[in-house]
Amino acid sequence: MLNMNGISKVYQTEMVQTHALRDFDLQVNEGEFIAVTGPSGSGKTTFLNIAGVLEPFTQGQYLLDGVDIGKLNDNQRADIRNQKIGYIFQGFNLIPDLNLYENVEVPLRYRGIKAAERKRRIESSLEQVGLASRAKHLPQQLSGGQQQRVAIARALAGKPRFLLADEPTGNLDSLMARQVMELLEQINRDGATIVMVTHDPELARRAPRNIQVVDGQIADFSLYQGNPAAVVGA
Amino acid sequence: MFEFRPIINALLRAKSGAILLLMQIAITTAIVSNAAFIINDRIAYLEQETGLPEQDLFQFNMMIFGKNIDLAKQIEVDESLLRSIPGVIDAVYINAVPLSGGGSGGSYNLLPSNEKSPSINASYFRADSHVLNTLGVELVAGRDLNESDVMVTSDVSELPKVALVTQAMHDEMFPQGSGLGKTIYRRDNAIKIVGIIKLLKGPWLQDERRDRSLIFPQVRPSSFQKFLIRTEPNERAAVMRRIEDVLLAEYPDRVIDVIKGLDQLKAEYVAEDTLMVRMLMVLITVLVLITALGIFGLTLFNINKRLKQIGTRRALGARKSAIIRYFLVENTLICSVGVVLGSAGALWMGAKLMALFSLPSLSVSYVIVTGAFVILMSLFAVIGPAKRAADISPSIATRSI
Repeated sequence: MLNMNGISKVYQTEMVQTHALRDFDLQVNEGEFIAVTGPSGSGKTTFLNIAGVLEPFTQGQYLLDGVDIGKLNDNQRADIRNQKIGYIFQGFNLIPDLNLYENVEVPLRYRGIKAAERKRRIESSLEQVGLASRAKHLPQQLSGGQQQRVAIARALAGKPRFLLADEPTGNLDSLMARQVMELLEQINRDGATIVMVTHDPELARRAPRNIQVVDGQIADFSLYQGNPAAVVGA
Repeated sequence: MFEFRPIINALLRAKSGAILLLMQIAITTAIVSNAAFIINDRIAYLEQETGLPEQDLFQFNMMIFGKNIDLAKQIEVDESLLRSIPGVIDAVYINAVPLSGGGSGGSYNLLPSNEKSPSINASYFRADSHVLNTLGVELVAGRDLNESDVMVTSDVSELPKVALVTQAMHDEMFPQGSGLGKTIYRRDNAIKIVGIIKLLKGPWLQDERRDRSLIFPQVRPSSFQKFLIRTEPNERAAVMRRIEDVLLAEYPDRVIDVIKGLDQLKAEYVAEDTLMVRMLMVLITVLVLITALGIFGLTLFNINKRLKQIGTRRALGARKSAIIRYFLVENTLICSVGVVLGSAGALWMGAKLMALFSLPSLSVSYVIVTGAFVILMSLFAVIGPAKRAADISPSIATRSI
């Protein structure tokens, strides 16, 4: 499903060169649920951005569902994001001037799906997250947990095979966080591949596979727990 | 594809910025439509065909002194002198000069004053038989004035028996057929129309009588005199410089002034209108620039306010073209409503201007063209900021801003 080989990302300013990812290798199989952890500044968000085709990488090869992402132009990258990937952001990223229905509709419109099909999918995905009755509400009329559920509904409506979640429970209390996590687990059981970045070790433990990013590289989680010296370059 | 419904819904939920822009566009449309109409009306007025070779004509005023001077005879001598100056085509002693803003007028009827008939107001010129040649206007029917027509008199109640009239005056007095050879009346004085002039603007370009004029073959001697001279093309300046020397050499007790070309007299007469046209042009330019800047600024402000939203849209699969289209559609929707309101405002304002300042009624075509122009201008103003928005990286969606 996701295959990263030797991915590097360098941010270059006039004065400073920052290596956010170094020789980063990762294979994610179809249907996996992976939790990505690591300290602040370790490169988690950069990994997520590259995995989500949100920004280009400097070196290496990235195949997503067999498509070589490095060879795509801007429009093709937009299409990949729209058709293959669903995003769940830490800050929910709902559009405040649009109601829930319209928010969920946004990626479907970009895909050119006809109105009747859009309606069916929006209602179904809002139903799935338990917010069908609040379709006409604006995001600011909902709690944080509800807003994150709308964001999940928006990601689900496009029926993506690959779901990226960036600290999906970071802005939620523990009860809400558990509900959102249960929802993600359900989605994974339904067949979607999920990569979730989180700071929360308890949430990370619930994922069948954990990887840790340290200093722009992957450390083996089990090795890290047993032998901190073996973390980098493991 | 164009996201009309979500854009409209979003605008309805966040109205303040849109309403400000909408009002600015409505006001611009209303003012620019009317100003453009007034400018065009004034330009048509300033550039109207006068029938006169303005560049070849000039006038001067003269005050002549002397207790024993025979004014009628001196006028004849002066006219002969002026006509003999090299470069002069013809010259006349005349009561008023076309396009100058100063002259005489009266009302004329088809019947004498004791009988009822429609009355037509017209300006008139009094001069000898050289007047038509001096004015350089075209006779379309009948004959020119001749020496035997000319009446020399100081009696203000006396009127000559014949006259030339302009085509416009003729058509108003005789809408059914030819008036050539027919009689019109100034009170009880019968005047026979012997010739019809194609076009001759009167002294007052703004006046409703501007196209209606008569020329009487009459010389009324006075110590305050006005002469009109037509020169060969490009000879006018040289002749104007010689006037004083030639006339003072013949008879020194006189003062000559206001030696001015007809084009200069006209320019002075229409100076206010020219100034108004320029001011309105500046107003339109400033207003359009302010509106364009307003649209540009508001779009930039909206983009900065919605950086995360734009990044999220890009992350969810919006192509750059979709982001540009979003802002163009949003702006066009606001502008279209503004233009509709502004058009209604323009027509209302036009009606008020018509009632208060006797301006012609605003043509709808001006409103339509202005509206289209404003929408086009707004599209140009928004395209730069929209392109900037499209360049926002989708990765901004994952950042805290």
